[in-house]
Amino acid sequence: MAVQVVNVRRPAATFSSAKPWLAILKGMWVSTRHFLGNLGLFLRGRQDFAIHFPEQRLVQPPALRGMPVLARMADGKERCVACGLCEWACPTSCITIYPAETADEVERYPEIFDIDMSRCMFCGLCEEACPEEAIIMSRQLEIASYTRAGSLWHKADLLVPVEQLKTRTDYIRRNYER
Amino acid sequence: MSAEKPGDSAAAAPELSPLLKTALERLGDRVLEHHSARGDDRIHVARESILETARILRDDPELSFDLLLDVTAIDYLGQPDDFETKLRVWDRNSASMRRQPQRRHELVLPPRGPHPRFAVVYHLTSTKRAHRLRIKCRLPEDDPKIASLTPLWPAANWLERETWDLYGIVFEGHPDPRRIYLYEEFVGHPLRKDYAKQGEQPIQEYVGPGAKEPRRPH
Amino acid sequence: MSDPERKNPAAPIEGNNAAALEELHTPPMRLQFGPSHPATHGTVKITLDLEGERVVWSDVEVGYLHRGFEKECETGYYYQNIPYTDRLNYSSPILNNTGYCMAVEKLFGIATPERCNHIRVIGGELSRMADHMLCIGASAMELAAFTPMLYLIEGRELLLDMIDSLCGGRVTTNFVRIGGISADMPENFPEFARPRLDRALKLFEDADKLLTENPVFRRRMEGTGYLSSEDLIAWGVTGPMLRAGGVPYDIRRVHPYLVYGELDFDVPVGRHSDNFDRYLVRLEEFRQSRRMILQCLDRMPGGPVDADDPRVRWPGKGRVFNRMEELIDQFKLVTEGGMPPAGEVYHAVEAANGELGFYIVSDGTGKPWKCRCRAPSFSNISPLAKMITGGQLADVVPTFGMINMIGGECDR
Repeated sequence: MAVQVVNVRRPAATFSSAKPWLAILKGMWVSTRHFLGNLGLFLRGRQDFAIHFPEQRLVQPPALRGMPVLARMADGKERCVACGLCEWACPTSCITIYPAETADEVERYPEIFDIDMSRCMFCGLCEEACPEEAIIMSRQLEIASYTRAGSLWHKADLLVPVEQLKTRTDYIRRNYER
Repeated sequence: MSAEKPGDSAAAAPELSPLLKTALERLGDRVLEHHSARGDDRIHVARESILETARILRDDPELSFDLLLDVTAIDYLGQPDDFETKLRVWDRNSASMRRQPQRRHELVLPPRGPHPRFAVVYHLTSTKRAHRLRIKCRLPEDDPKIASLTPLWPAANWLERETWDLYGIVFEGHPDPRRIYLYEEFVGHPLRKDYAKQGEQPIQEYVGPGAKEPRRPH
Repeated sequence: MSDPERKNPAAPIEGNNAAALEELHTPPMRLQFGPSHPATHGTVKITLDLEGERVVWSDVEVGYLHRGFEKECETGYYYQNIPYTDRLNYSSPILNNTGYCMAVEKLFGIATPERCNHIRVIGGELSRMADHMLCIGASAMELAAFTPMLYLIEGRELLLDMIDSLCGGRVTTNFVRIGGISADMPENFPEFARPRLDRALKLFEDADKLLTENPVFRRRMEGTGYLSSEDLIAWGVTGPMLRAGGVPYDIRRVHPYLVYGELDFDVPVGRHSDNFDRYLVRLEEFRQSRRMILQCLDRMPGGPVDADDPRVRWPGKGRVFNRMEELIDQFKLVTEGGMPPAGEVYHAVEAANGELGFYIVSDGTGKPWKCRCRAPSFSNISPLAKMITGGQLADVVPTFGMINMIGGECDR
């Protein structure tokens, strides 16, 4: 442990007050250096100064939390059993579930599963609470809509084939395993 | 770990931290209770002696509490200090509540107990000695008044305005007793437990410049 | 040129100007500065009375971003309030997460493992670096220096990339959990972080070169916003502002938490207590934060990142999927929250702007009875009226910029 208290070095006031043009030249040299460096990169063919959005996408890390979606199994049904834990854990109460019963072996399924994306804050607590790996934070970030009603996502819109969520399910299995 | 409870006093006595020892020595019988839990020291004083206590704590060279960190209040609403009984005041704004929007202004309030309802809490620290102390004063519901600490620390000015705004504690001798976050026409004090989280305020008619002009369509 | 002796901008105007003012006396002009002014990076309304360019009276009004953070906390479980703490100081969210979770851990009496503490320090110091970059860049831009802002924002993007790879969110991190963190550091994080830290430092040095010796910048910063160290303490100011006044009060040094007690770092203090010293203290703190991150990466211990405490940490997913007891545990923890013992704690961490304290009163249920946030910005901005009254109108902008008032934290 070595924490020291040091005084900040205050550059002498006389330097720039005597020769202000010197400090300004120095600043101009910094921005010129940036300009020349970028120009050199551009001439050598580097094109990644800007990302042309709809055609190009940012490379996001595997930890990315996008919009929550429901996993759809191979038989076309959801994995969710309508236990309501995500509804309970959601800090902003943006999830609404009405459960119903079915003759399958899981016995329960959500008849209505709505997520109000205008309230959702992408915190990922629903995913952490889910005991079935049924609600998963996807990599989808484009959720804009033209109307307010359009930001209420119903079950049919939320279902995503589970194979497309592999990055995230791998991440969950690796990191939420304690 | 209250020093006044017979069962706990034996356990509390050896835990008396050096800070509390000095503070008790300087303050004498102004301290009603003292606690030392989880590394935090706190003392309870009566509201009449808060100004005097704070002055001693600030000016004593061994204590030298020169930095007022925080002023806030707690609404116990019938609870004893330290919560021996557990009561639920309301359920949270859950999805089930949203299905019954007519119930969202309702509150399930516990019965009023014999204890004073409010406690004003001050957090002090010292930039020289690096210790912290919490002072608590209980205030009754019908007369929530306490002396302002603004003469000692100008920092108390805004913090006490905030406490007045959100809890309705009156600080006597405050130079600028306005609300700080909410507007002056706001009815009630929102951090009190009997203010519903979803409570709505009457819409104030705007009377300033340009009020008579036609509204711009959205 | 720059006059370092201009300690008191409130000094009356000398010479024949005074007589001219006397003759042409007009009532002070009332100027509303804000609530959303292009030269302030925060929503605050400053009412100024001007006599010419001099401020003769001022009043600061906050509260435009009040969202009822404390009321919201009282109605949610302990774990549900962590995302809300992101929104306090939105330019350094991990520090707020850490402050809140450490207060709740103190209530529970939980000690977190070493690896968790190191990762929290890395995340927190990254946030502090990003916060200082934004503060300096935005303040410089408000003083019409646009280029440093571009460099600093580019550097901040690199830091946010690192935060993003840690927790999956750039600003709304929701990273720290009670008794642990949301996910372990990615395996390639040190290799990912080191070049980015170097590049961010390089950009920072460029901004430093552009600003520190620039005569215009110095004339606007030096001697303005002066407040003596006694006044700073009396007004409850903490953080870089207090340290610029020569008081070495840094919670990382005074009450070391996490692994700060074992790290090697300097606490920069200033002497003049003006805006330029606040700027210099932030510059130096940025370099010290980088030093701390590199030390943490070097000494990163192995082991788990979560405390083995079933009261707060939810069981692992694999066991929840396959075993009955853990499933029941998961249901109990989500629907009831972890229940701490009744009592009250105050825990403070050094956030980017000063002492960020959380005072939590528990009644023994899964929801806090009271969750109070002692926000540094709120106390730091309270002497603003005192600092600007008597000065020039142009000094309001650098003073406000160097206070670095963050609306989300100040208004909660």
